[in-house]
Amino acid sequence: MSNVETALKDAASIDGAIGAALVDYTSGMALGTIGGGKELDLNVAAAGNTDVVRAKVRAMEMLNINEEIEDILITLGSQYHLIRLLKSRTSQGLFLYLALSKDRANLAMARHQLKKIEADLEV
Amino acid sequence: MLVRLAAEKATGALLRDHGTLYLVDGRVVHAESPAAPGMDVLLTTAGRIPREGWDEAVDRAGAHRAVGRFLVDSGRLGDGELEICHLGAVFDAAFFALSPASGPTRFRYGVGHWFGTVRPVSAEAVERETLRRRELLDAVWPYASVDTAPVVPRPAAPGQGLGARRRALLAAADGVRTPADLARLLGRPAFHTLLDVRRLAAAGLIETPLDAAPDATPTPPPPAFPPVPPVADPDIALLRRLRDALEAHL
Repeated sequence: MSNVETALKDAASIDGAIGAALVDYTSGMALGTIGGGKELDLNVAAAGNTDVVRAKVRAMEMLNINEEIEDILITLGSQYHLIRLLKSRTSQGLFLYLALSKDRANLAMARHQLKKIEADLEV
Repeated sequence: MLVRLAAEKATGALLRDHGTLYLVDGRVVHAESPAAPGMDVLLTTAGRIPREGWDEAVDRAGAHRAVGRFLVDSGRLGDGELEICHLGAVFDAAFFALSPASGPTRFRYGVGHWFGTVRPVSAEAVERETLRRRELLDAVWPYASVDTAPVVPRPAAPGQGLGARRRALLAAADGVRTPADLARLLGRPAFHTLLDVRRLAAAGLIETPLDAAPDATPTPPPPAFPPVPPVADPDIALLRRLRDALEAHL
């Protein structure tokens, strides 16, 4: 069991992490951010990526695929951006957003760790 | 005024027409507004905790201002869940409390709230987020008349997709309930409901009151489109709505 701050600290300690945010994807608000710095404005990233999540959720509905989205991976030249949706028991839709430096990160490990952080935050 | 109170690290309640902000050492610890469902509605309507569980927490911990803490310590809620839900409720109420047409502002020093402190946020973050939310609403559909009018569904165009959340919203819209009523009924934050309602308006899925006038506050047009002149002619409004609906389909 952890709180928002611990979850974000854990996310920031993942190898290669540039920054992380916990985002409410209906409003686009970051409930908390860590890291990012000059390289990446996480509040802007939070708001922008809600459109990514909403578009994917809508596409799934149109395709009649009745499954939950676990995570979304965006691969850039030098970075990975990982979006992990939270299974919230209240009606809020949330996701964890993690930006990784491609040359320092282990993608499989990062996904696994993010899954664990999500589980800790939800319990 | 909020900026000044934050600078002097004030503790107390900032009272406005549409809501109240509670500060401790200049940071926002709680907010409530008649326009926004409170923590009790958000938690019990979604079925997250039973009504008795909430009442018990208020009875036993309300007097020493630790209701939030009690919910966690008694095993009703996780630490993270409490924070997330409370932050959501605080920003939601603050959005209405800080609305520009909100009349006189008073500050009562030393007043606290019975819910207790969960995770204080800076006054600056609350102001920034409130502004961002106002701009977001206007970027989606710049006519505020749908915010307070009863929500009246219109038939969808063939093949027009709709998310589960907005489907539930439309299903609950009986032509009498306003967005604030729907938020309370569904146990959702009021701002989120307003945003859904404006998206539905832009998609042509709800009736929009005919006397719709552009918002008084000047806002930049959405970045993707060239600047448009203020709309006075209803035909232009119709065309814009048609365009928005078509674009929503691309």
